[in-house]
Amino acid sequence: MTNDNTLISVQDLKVYFRSGHECARAVDGISFEIRQEETVCLVGESGCGKTVSALSILGLIQTPPGEIAGGQIMFQGKNLLELDEEDMQKIRGNRIAMVFQEPLTSLNPVFTIEDQIGEAISIHKNIGSGELRDCCIKLLKDVGIPSPVQRLKDYPHQLSGGQRQRVMIAMALACDPDLIIADEPTTALDVTVQAQILQLLKSIQETRSMSILYITHDLGVVANIAHRVYVMYSGIVTEQGNAAQIFHHARHPYTQGLLASLPSRSKRGKRLFSIPGTVPNPAYKPAGCPFHPRCPHAIPICGKEYPKMCDYGQAHLARCPVLFKNSHNPDKPEPKSI
Amino acid sequence: MISFIGRSVIQKIITLFFVSIVSFLIIHIAPGKPSQVDPMNPKFTPEMVERFQKEFHLDKPLHVQYLYFYKDLFTGETVSWKDNQSVLKKIWERFLNSLPLFIVGTIITWTLSFPIGIRSAIFRGQFYDRSATFLSYLLISIPGFFFAYVLIIFVVNQFHVPVIGMETFGIGDGASLPYIFMDRIWHLLLPSVLGATGGIAVLSRYVRSQMLEVEGQDYIRTAWAKGLPPEQVHYKHALRNALLPFVTMFGLILPGLIGGSVIIESIFSWPGMGRMAYEAILARDYPVILTVNFVSAVLVLAGTFISDLLYLVVDPRIRL
Ligand SMILES: Nc1ncnc2c1ncn2[C@@H]1O[C@H](COP(=O)(O)OP(=O)(O)OP(=O)(O)O)[C@@H](O)[C@H]1O
Ligand code: SF4
Ligand SMILES: [Mg+2]
Repeated sequence: MTNDNTLISVQDLKVYFRSGHECARAVDGISFEIRQEETVCLVGESGCGKTVSALSILGLIQTPPGEIAGGQIMFQGKNLLELDEEDMQKIRGNRIAMVFQEPLTSLNPVFTIEDQIGEAISIHKNIGSGELRDCCIKLLKDVGIPSPVQRLKDYPHQLSGGQRQRVMIAMALACDPDLIIADEPTTALDVTVQAQILQLLKSIQETRSMSILYITHDLGVVANIAHRVYVMYSGIVTEQGNAAQIFHHARHPYTQGLLASLPSRSKRGKRLFSIPGTVPNPAYKPAGCPFHPRCPHAIPICGKEYPKMCDYGQAHLARCPVLFKNSHNPDKPEPKSI
Repeated sequence: MISFIGRSVIQKIITLFFVSIVSFLIIHIAPGKPSQVDPMNPKFTPEMVERFQKEFHLDKPLHVQYLYFYKDLFTGETVSWKDNQSVLKKIWERFLNSLPLFIVGTIITWTLSFPIGIRSAIFRGQFYDRSATFLSYLLISIPGFFFAYVLIIFVVNQFHVPVIGMETFGIGDGASLPYIFMDRIWHLLLPSVLGATGGIAVLSRYVRSQMLEVEGQDYIRTAWAKGLPPEQVHYKHALRNALLPFVTMFGLILPGLIGGSVIIESIFSWPGMGRMAYEAILARDYPVILTVNFVSAVLVLAGTFISDLLYLVVDPRIRL
């Protein structure tokens, strides 16, 4: 599955959190890959392990209580999970940068914007202070902050939420990384600002030809930005494919549920669908298919056998053998999409 | 900025005014009269008491007494009832005695508490942290006077140096200067260290918890994600934020000049402010008590004022 232009490939990653006798399998064997100049979305409900996956790539899982229980993360020929701390520091912020969910709390309140962006550059590059200043100004300009020279001396609390997120993005761009991980970068922002930030990330991806791993729980965003999509549920990937496949030919009941719960023009005025039940506690996952307690198509075997990935061709995979069998059995009608 | 300072000073003066009234009233409500300053003293005849009352305006109504007292205080005429000496002069002398003890104690406390607390936070749950935790609880739970006696006995037996008082009695006669200097250092060191132990135990815990709280913040995760080395994450990003509340505390240690050292000063026969206040209370020497009270209030308010100013400097979120 790994082709030449693969930038990063995560294989069978497992991240567990232990506390007392409990072991929360937050990420339970996920595999995904991101190619060069590609925007990949990781979608799933809150608590399904998206942030944990992202932090594992940067080696930022706190151990203890966390533990990388298995798998590998291949990035530019190296397994990131085997690098020592010093080598990881050379990758963080430099080759892989991250934008976090909460721009309000993710910037240090006691340092200026210039200090925080400049630091992201100077830690990886050897440049003089005058040049550093110019770099900061250029980055702020690139992310669309008005009058960047004046903003340099500002502290985070003097900026609006959207501007802070732009500063975070500027910081991530500082060393021209190969990959930017954006972990729900718009969740904490106003709707109009959300669209602007999304647009900004999209244009950055195109003009700088970098890769973006965009994490979100909102499939609506995905249509806007993603080349390819991985849908996660309870620490595993349940469906993957390109944007069109996921949106128009979803093959997993969970993805279908997520799509059905999207607001849209045709559903105006009607009550929105929501998938019944909640994401299982990662310490007490159901046996078999983790989705079976909530699945409208579940049959008895779903509670016993762990579902295999089923290949629909053209790199469209879904982890639901039940629907797969139905779709290939002309005797049985394909179940109605919910 | 200027208006902030002006407002703050006016507020503090108003507070001081109320403190002066309340402390004056409390002293008068408290049992005991000046005539009982020393009832066993045969010289304290009824005539003496009468003269005494006249001299200190004790026959006047309370509010007049109040005015007289603070008039005397501000003109520097307040005298002790016990020895008729100027109270301000007495307090100044004692203040100078307390100062080295206070300064050395504070330096020891702050220079040790911070490295210990920070390291405990960084290595939380590990051997260093556990030992530091154990030691601080030990020091907190051992009473200061007990610890003092153990230390005195140890030092006197081991090094054969006297440690009571500010200097060895009669050392001034014919000893060389370095010798006198060393003698003073020895006398200063033990009470300072003792005064600091409790402070270190408490302050280092506080530093640790403050540091731990900051280490869990989102911006620390951002700092790691930038690829900063651990030293920069801990000592730049985390420490700078963790220090903020201690800036407030720094102003508040000023009043410790008076109250913080009564026990230590008593054990070591150190003629400092705390002991003077304590003795004045026992002797019902009201002018001294009230003056010390007033000076402490001034120190507390000055301390909070300094804290406010420091906060302005270190926390960019507070701007006027
Ligand atoms: N530090 C931690 N200690 C213990 N458990 C953790 C820790 N971090 C994450 N987890 C567990 O991992 C699970 C997945 O968390 P994660 O933050 O990856 O979810 P997410 O998909 O990013 O959700 P959200 O949309 O809310 O951000 C959580 O249910 C939580 O129980
Ligand atoms: S395997 Fe069964 S429970 Fe799981 S999604 Fe498919 S039908 Fe539903
Ligand atoms: Mg998350």
